[in-house]
Amino acid sequence: MAEKPLPSLQRITPAAPASATPGASLRAAVRRSLPVAGVIVTLLIAWEASKLAFGISDQRLPHLGAIIEVMFTRTQGGTGNILLAQMLLNAWSTFQVALGGFLLGGMLGFGLAVLFMQLPMLERGLMPYVIGSQTVPILAIAPMVVVGLGRMGAPSWAAKITVAAYLTFFPVTIGMLRGLRAASPMSLDLMRSYAASPAQIFWRLRLPNSLPYLFTSLKVAASASVIGAIVAELPAGAREGVGMMILNAAQSYNSRPPALYVAILAASLVGVTFYGMVALAERLIVGSQRTNGG
Amino acid sequence: MSAPMIEFDRVSKIYQSGGGPVNALHDVSLSIAAGEFIALIGPSGCGKSTLMRLVGDLEQPSAGGLRVRGKTAHQARLDRDYGIVFQSPVLYEWRSIRKNVELPLEIMGQPGPQRHARASELLRLVGLSDFGDAYPHQLSGGMQQRAAIARALSFEPAILLMDEPFGALDEITRERMQLELLSIWDGGPQRTTVIFVTHSIPEAVFLADRVVVMSPRPGRVERLVTVDLPRPRSFETREDPRFFALVTEVREGLREH
Repeated sequence: MAEKPLPSLQRITPAAPASATPGASLRAAVRRSLPVAGVIVTLLIAWEASKLAFGISDQRLPHLGAIIEVMFTRTQGGTGNILLAQMLLNAWSTFQVALGGFLLGGMLGFGLAVLFMQLPMLERGLMPYVIGSQTVPILAIAPMVVVGLGRMGAPSWAAKITVAAYLTFFPVTIGMLRGLRAASPMSLDLMRSYAASPAQIFWRLRLPNSLPYLFTSLKVAASASVIGAIVAELPAGAREGVGMMILNAAQSYNSRPPALYVAILAASLVGVTFYGMVALAERLIVGSQRTNGG
Repeated sequence: MSAPMIEFDRVSKIYQSGGGPVNALHDVSLSIAAGEFIALIGPSGCGKSTLMRLVGDLEQPSAGGLRVRGKTAHQARLDRDYGIVFQSPVLYEWRSIRKNVELPLEIMGQPGPQRHARASELLRLVGLSDFGDAYPHQLSGGMQQRAAIARALSFEPAILLMDEPFGALDEITRERMQLELLSIWDGGPQRTTVIFVTHSIPEAVFLADRVVVMSPRPGRVERLVTVDLPRPRSFETREDPRFFALVTEVREGLREH
């Protein structure tokens, strides 16, 4: 971590600007979200402008209006919902799987990191396999897990969560292990000087010190678990979920291009929401105390 | 004088490095009395920090005997006989200043209310009463180092080990911190034994009862200078002709090899 600046005392005087008037904080929030909104608007303009300028057919790039229109048309199958509602239901389904995989993989990654830190021998023995596991394409793993767990009588959500966890545990293991080892020699000397027990050193130094690293890897893991959940829906023959949506839309792309864009929107909706939740948790847990908390 | 607080008996320390063994300390014998303020001074690489770290059992001697309060350094560490202050404050950034000061007490299992009271007392002692709830990054370097001193003193150790604690501070802050340290050290009912590593000659003379002048590689005790300046020392001490004479004596000791 970089050397921190040493600000003047004014930063901690009672009249700090942090808790100023609500109007000011609203203005600050608007100012923060302005760049994001600007990029979205620019992209949308570029979308329509390039269609106009290069004469791209609706087949290859539908009008934004057409995509929005599709969202509000009723779907042909069973429920008779409009596509937007269907999309949100599918997104919610995938989100649950991703969350399950994230929690399972996160705990596994955390456990492995703690184990590897305590037992370097184990790390040397197992780390090559941990790394190797991530070089096998998830597309090949997913059917094996779905079929394998299915034969054992496990419900299909368990298989989907397992696939999502498979992608999640790796960044958490790597990031957490790095974080647990990031305690400076002097901070460890300090603990030694107090004759602190290994457990005290873990809970009071290594673990809190690793939190910025943990959250960085959790952010990577959040996106990975969404990918895992989507991929797992394909061999599972799921009747709901973003994966199913993408598969259906891809098959009917020739006749109805906008549907695929709606499916992509659903996927990014899940991903961005998930990432946002992790980032919020980071702000709440780490952000208030550190200058460079991630 | 009673039994020495710390006794080095022909202590040597050899590091194994890529380029072969390095003689960090050679045949160091030194006896430090209870309540004595000792300054270790010498050029970089003379092993003065190593000497201090041996007392703290953060490193072990390669040869020779070392007794701390009549025990092995290892036992003394387990008995929490010393507090340590490094050149950088090493405050845990996720803890408030108060919680940093309480850290050793927490590890030693003191109950909450007692810890809280002791931390308040120490924060007052080092002039940080208003900053207990602040986080380390909100404080200046000098204030952070004050918090580190409060933390080291929190459990009232018999020995205070200080490894260039003011080395990273500007000259003005540094001189003020020296005075503050002495007033804390003088103020208690019983004087703590201090080993203070520094590379500043005036700092060593101003603070110490005895200055241990060390020579580089292999580190050995070149000269012992007894500082007979009266206590309590003040700003005027630095203008005392005797102060200049002692500074010169230490400087000559450093030049000898």
